Amino acid sequence: MAFRKKILIVDDEEDIRTYLSTLLEDLGYETVMAKDGEEALQQVEASVPDLITLDISMPEKSGIKFYREMKGDERWSRIPVIIVTGVSEDFRKFISSRHQVPPPEGYLSKPINPEEILELVRKCTS
Amino acid sequence: MELNYKQFFEVMPAYLTILDRDLRIIAANQRFRKDFGEFEGRYCYEINRHRSERCQHCPAERTFQDGLRHGIEEQFKNLSGQEISLIVYTTPIRNEAGEITAVMKMATDITEIKLLQNQLRESRERYRYLFEEVPCYITIQDWDLRIIEANRQVREDFGDVIGRQCYQVYMHRSEECVPCAVKETFHDGQVHQTEEVLTSQNGEQMNVLVSTAPIRSAEGQIRNVIEMSTNITQIRQLQSQLTSLGLVISSISHGIKGLLTSLDGGIYLVNSGLDKNNQDRIKQGWQMVERNVARIKTMVLDLLYYAKDRELALEWFPAESVVEEVGGIIRGKAKDYGIEVYCDIDPIAGDLAGDRKAVRSLLVNLVENALDACRVDKKKSTHQIKLRLRGYPDSIEFEVGDNGIGMDQETREKAFTLFFSSKAGDGTGLGLFISNKIVRAHGGKIQLESELNQGTRVVVRLPRRGPIPKAASSNPS
Repeated sequence: MAFRKKILIVDDEEDIRTYLSTLLEDLGYETVMAKDGEEALQQVEASVPDLITLDISMPEKSGIKFYREMKGDERWSRIPVIIVTGVSEDFRKFISSRHQVPPPEGYLSKPINPEEILELVRKCTS
Repeated sequence: MELNYKQFFEVMPAYLTILDRDLRIIAANQRFRKDFGEFEGRYCYEINRHRSERCQHCPAERTFQDGLRHGIEEQFKNLSGQEISLIVYTTPIRNEAGEITAVMKMATDITEIKLLQNQLRESRERYRYLFEEVPCYITIQDWDLRIIEANRQVREDFGDVIGRQCYQVYMHRSEECVPCAVKETFHDGQVHQTEEVLTSQNGEQMNVLVSTAPIRSAEGQIRNVIEMSTNITQIRQLQSQLTSLGLVISSISHGIKGLLTSLDGGIYLVNSGLDKNNQDRIKQGWQMVERNVARIKTMVLDLLYYAKDRELALEWFPAESVVEEVGGIIRGKAKDYGIEVYCDIDPIAGDLAGDRKAVRSLLVNLVENALDACRVDKKKSTHQIKLRLRGYPDSIEFEVGDNGIGMDQETREKAFTLFFSSKAGDGTGLGLFISNKIVRAHGGKIQLESELNQGTRVVVRLPRRGPIPKAASSNPS
């Protein structure tokens, strides 16, 4: 059995997590999930994913906080991140909050186009 | 020498006459003769005023009596009956023994001057009328921003303002506003415009459009600045309805994007389940579709509800449940900033007849303000937000308190005003305005207490049985 790339899906909406997880698993990826930034940090530490899809607006720890902490930690900073968000204002805030943190590898606006996300995922995990 | 005097007497550009003690004209110069005709043997009042009796206040008569010079303004009628305005001076003519033998009367025509004076007075009155009656606030201010003139509307709404600084009168502040349009006009001589929120002497807030212009002296120096403020509160209120709708649509569109993604997910699961003949996946996908269609339905109804200018959807609900829900929302956010949230809930507060969603929005708004007030306060090491609920026989009281940055008098007074925000770019100026609107729609009262650097306390009291009797009658209990 070939080695499967692992993708961490971070979103506070359970249905969106289920959707992305099913879609990506159908294409041969392994997925793990987190409902907010706090859980996502635990998952990164526990499962060391090859890619993260990240929502921005989430209760508890937001995607912005998670991204800054993760990219600021040299153990995880090389893991590529695709932002998946519903509000362009969120993304603007996200970009302006990065300071010394590098930009994400991809950005997708909800509702997502399955072909677009698959193309980005392939690019980021190859 | 005597000849010279006679020549001067004749050619002087004024009416010159010499009167005896009976006020009979005994000599008159050329100009007088030309405009008033023959004078021999006639009295001055006959010729000058076309009267048969002496005038009541006769300067010549007074000069005969006291030997002094006298001046008076008079109206003469010339030969053609035309009225002439004159300034008349009388001076005694004495003999060698010093006795007054005659009086010389010199009358200078000031008809043109009088005409100009009248025009000037009329023009001033017209401008004064405009200044007084124009439907806006007009003041004239000096370099210290002291009001030296104010029109009727200013006096009616702001009281006795003369001599007081404009920022005290309009803003209830102790310091100048920054920037100040009046100061800017004093500095550059240009017209400046700005928008402000004023507070009248009754505490009423109004949005005004302010224009300032210089008043210059004849030499071109700026002496004062005129400030004109037009009340645009109604325009702003109308705008707020549109903005509020815009904000709602923007927030709903965010939600809809998430819902559409979830709906796409459900459809994907159903389709891929059919392809793989995976009944569990089909079932899971269909549940997702159903769930998200229901959420979209609720959201669209919400949108329609807001579009109808927030008509209240009254129902009976436990007040406690809303406070707990809002407490839960704010705890998550407050945790990120190390702010503690305490809920003090009266367990027997009971039910409230109101619009549950509107009351929830109201409380969310108040606690979010409290959170912002704590977040920006750098003077204290720990911050707390207190959410309190109390039940009374006829009312329910919600209280939101914080030990954040607090408000100064100006911010306090304008807190409920549309488009006033103390949060710079972070505020829309709509939050407390809408909260106040929700409280009023419920027939309740909102009270704000705040001290700068100390904190803020907002108390909302809503009638338990709602704003209309219909709601009370539907109480199941």
